[in-house]
Amino acid sequence: MTGRRPGAAKENLAGWLFVAPVVVILGLFMLAPILMAMWVSLTDWNGQGSPFRAGVPFVGLDNYTRLFAEEGLARQDFMTSVRNNVYYVAIVVPAQTGLALGLALIVNGRLLRGRTFFRAAFYFPSVTSSVAISVVFLFVFANSGAVNGLLRLFGVEGPQWFADSRGILHLVLGALGVVDPDAPPAALTGGGPFGLSWWEWLSGPSVAMTTIIVLVVWTTSGTFMLMFLAALQNIPVTLEEAALLDGAGRRQVFTHVTLPLLKPTMFLVLTLGMIATWQVFDQVYVMSQGNPAKTTLTPAFLSYQTAFNGFEYGSGTAISFVLFAIIVVLTLVQRWVLRERRA
Amino acid sequence: MNPNTRRTSRAVTSIACASMLVTTACGSGFDDAPGQSAQQSGGPVTLQILIGSSGDAETNAVKQAAQTWAAASGTGATVTPAQDLTQQLGQAFAGDSPPDVFYVDAIRFADYASVGALEPYAGKISSPDDFYPTLRTAFTYNGTFYCAPKDFSTLALIVNQDLWAKAGLGDSDVPTTWEQLTSVSEKIKAAGITPLALGDTRDRVGAFMVQAGGWITSPDGKQATADSPQNLAALDYVRTLLAGKLAQYPSQLDAGWSGEAFGAGKVAMTIEGNWIKGALKADYPDVKYAAYELPAGPKGKGSLSFTTCWGIAAKSRHKEQAISFVEAMTKADQQMAFARAFGVMPSRQSARSTYTGEFPADVPFVNAVDYAQGPVNAPKMDSVLDDFDTGLQKLTSTAPKTLLERVQKNTQAALGTS
Amino acid sequence: MPDRKRSLASTFAGYFILIFVALVFLYPFVIQIATSFKTEPDAAANPLSPLPHLATLDGYERVFGTDLPLWLGNSLLVTVIITTGRVLLDSMAGYALARLRFRGRRALFATIVAVIAVPGVVLFIPKFLVLNQLGMYDSYTALILPVIADAAGVFIMKQFFESIPVTVEEAARIDGAGVFRTFWSVVLPMARPALLTLTIISVQSSWNEFPHTLVAVQDPALFTLPRGLADLVSGSLGKGTQYPLKLGAAVLATVPVAIVFVVFQRYFVRGANEGSDKG
Repeated sequence: MTGRRPGAAKENLAGWLFVAPVVVILGLFMLAPILMAMWVSLTDWNGQGSPFRAGVPFVGLDNYTRLFAEEGLARQDFMTSVRNNVYYVAIVVPAQTGLALGLALIVNGRLLRGRTFFRAAFYFPSVTSSVAISVVFLFVFANSGAVNGLLRLFGVEGPQWFADSRGILHLVLGALGVVDPDAPPAALTGGGPFGLSWWEWLSGPSVAMTTIIVLVVWTTSGTFMLMFLAALQNIPVTLEEAALLDGAGRRQVFTHVTLPLLKPTMFLVLTLGMIATWQVFDQVYVMSQGNPAKTTLTPAFLSYQTAFNGFEYGSGTAISFVLFAIIVVLTLVQRWVLRERRA
Repeated sequence: MNPNTRRTSRAVTSIACASMLVTTACGSGFDDAPGQSAQQSGGPVTLQILIGSSGDAETNAVKQAAQTWAAASGTGATVTPAQDLTQQLGQAFAGDSPPDVFYVDAIRFADYASVGALEPYAGKISSPDDFYPTLRTAFTYNGTFYCAPKDFSTLALIVNQDLWAKAGLGDSDVPTTWEQLTSVSEKIKAAGITPLALGDTRDRVGAFMVQAGGWITSPDGKQATADSPQNLAALDYVRTLLAGKLAQYPSQLDAGWSGEAFGAGKVAMTIEGNWIKGALKADYPDVKYAAYELPAGPKGKGSLSFTTCWGIAAKSRHKEQAISFVEAMTKADQQMAFARAFGVMPSRQSARSTYTGEFPADVPFVNAVDYAQGPVNAPKMDSVLDDFDTGLQKLTSTAPKTLLERVQKNTQAALGTS
Repeated sequence: MPDRKRSLASTFAGYFILIFVALVFLYPFVIQIATSFKTEPDAAANPLSPLPHLATLDGYERVFGTDLPLWLGNSLLVTVIITTGRVLLDSMAGYALARLRFRGRRALFATIVAVIAVPGVVLFIPKFLVLNQLGMYDSYTALILPVIADAAGVFIMKQFFESIPVTVEEAARIDGAGVFRTFWSVVLPMARPALLTLTIISVQSSWNEFPHTLVAVQDPALFTLPRGLADLVSGSLGKGTQYPLKLGAAVLATVPVAIVFVVFQRYFVRGANEGSDKG
């Protein structure tokens, strides 16, 4: 195919010259690092000198099995971080998707004035620095901060958000009188999978974690709103009007005409949301560093902490690869579910 | 597999290999050549000094002392206050570019020593035996005394004198035993005042374990002793204090740490270190207070000591100059200058009487050095101890026995003795 | 007409919800700015009030007493270089992938799509290892070079170049212009809207970049604003509350992006939707 056209060799060369810088940079800083890290995750490198010299102990898959099969603190911390992140994803993804869709539907209203303003207002938090926003939320949720000030107006004494490690689900169960959080039933505390008891698995996000949840829903909804908005604007008005003329109610039009057309966007938003929420790091680093009582620990932060503060680089990289696998698997599952529905 | 994807995957592999080649070929960051750590002689030398400062007072005092030393020795010295010392040091060690001299917290000491990051130079400092024995132990790994202690702090009982009087108590009521601590706390509580603010970590609760005759590890740091009956007695006692609202954790008192609750007049007593003096002076100058030795437990008096040493990097190229710098920083009169500037206690026994003469109110803190337990001195214990702290935060709702068994198990795993 | 009444009511309700939600979305920024001008006791006592009791520049004076001016300078430098690099390199690569027929083009494009899918957090420790291996750790090079080209940008540019007609370039080619000449003086000028979008995305993302700085540098003299701000809060300087100081620093990190946002809003909107195409 090449070589037949005149000037093809020249174009071949030009093409590679044009892509060369990008290829070098992505190769050096995306692909090579991954291969190096794969090696490190199979060693016990302690951060002294090069990980590629002869003396570095090779431990095979130990760093991985320790996260799943061996009883100990490594597994306990990892499983705690996974638990925290599962609750985090389970709340943030539906909440941000729902809020984004709701906002998009309202902003898309044809009679609305000031649409540009509202769209900008909802989108603005998405573009600002995650670190700066986290600092603001540290103040907003401080003991003497804005949220507790607001609650006090209604006569409610707010919790100490960042010091409160109690699980929401535990609190709810306690309030309903199902179990006493201070003396949970032995059946639940006795045992459970992967080194955490059932009671620990069933904690729900901690009060401290809810602040990060609120922050992230608040910052990301704007981006997803824009995606829904673009999709809504692509729906031909005539289609909805035709349905209305056929005597369908507004709600029926929404569920039978609008929503099905939004499906691709919906799945996109869900996928992007899930990928992002499994990677939560900045907010944890700035706001809580995994505290209180490890209830805001996430795999991303744990991996960082294990490597750079604990000198266990092998363990840290192993955690990040497991996280990678979790994200890939969940993305594939979601894609599979999508395919199922289309069929 | 169609030819297209096969070609794709082959291309991906080749790109990846090419980039691997590039990185290893031009790799220069990790240089293991022995020549690199060889002593450099001749030419102007500048020491890089990284400190984990408690505030401007400390930063300025150390900078000033470094300048004086630099002027006298002809070697340059750059003092940098770290934002996050642990993280910065960790990355510096891995990056093979550690500072020459840096603060090493006793809690992290064994981690650094065990991976060979520290130069064991302490024997070369003049009269090493002059450092308090407990501080020397804190910086000894596998029988070698590594680095010179910079200064130290201990825990004592801090009493708010106004609230004390308000509860109808006098000087003779200051508790010297657990029993007295309980009874006096009950009196204070009856007067409508919260008796004791107690930090919710092993760095405060641990003092009770020492008073009961227990600790997390054996003295040589090789065995786990967390599930001993002594430790159980200590946690049981602390638990009764908490359950009876005789003691409260800072978070329960809407405070970041006990000193804040104490300064704000929310409690009559707290157990804190000598750093509380500076904090109270800065934030709550009107509080009248006094320090006393901690009440004794079943085993006698007990406290905790905290200390930092001047670490020198094993990879430093200016070790001679670095040792000379540390020598100057740990002279008794220089330590006194630091004590005046930012309220730490000299680590040399020869400075003890000068210090207590100048700061008589600190006698209880200084006395505690004779019976205080230093931090756990074993590598890989950081996450175990963090986990213990997590457990202590839930002490009221967890059985102390379960808690200690968990610490025991984790400690054994970390020490490799299970 | 009942129907009309209903729609009036629902419009009303719609506005009510919108204004309420807009308030929720914007009020934290109001608090942020207000608190940065408050005194410390005022900030603690009146966390909700949108106006300082007694406006003071104390917080800002203390902000400028830290290394913040230096961080601000670093952020500016890094943002400008990264953005320039990305716009140039991404559009070159995007153009080649869209228009030039060279061997391995499809494989390369597949690789780039795969790279977009690699989650960033997985690369923390690996990036640190590579920077170390190359002897770049703790330098401006470490801050800039690894992020000076990005796969998503290449993707966006490729899509754009494929959407514009090929005729103009062909005319230029026939006139005897070389590939690079054609790209530089014919193609790039046509690509202005896409380049602007890419510029805006790069400015925003490199100004806000945080995790990369965490593994690339440790010398405070090399900190960018987000890194400095994070350490201001969590490091040794973070002791005590000092909210006016911290929020003042946060305002300084937010304002440049806010200005860019207000001026170039429609490009932001486009950028977000370009991002959505790649899924």
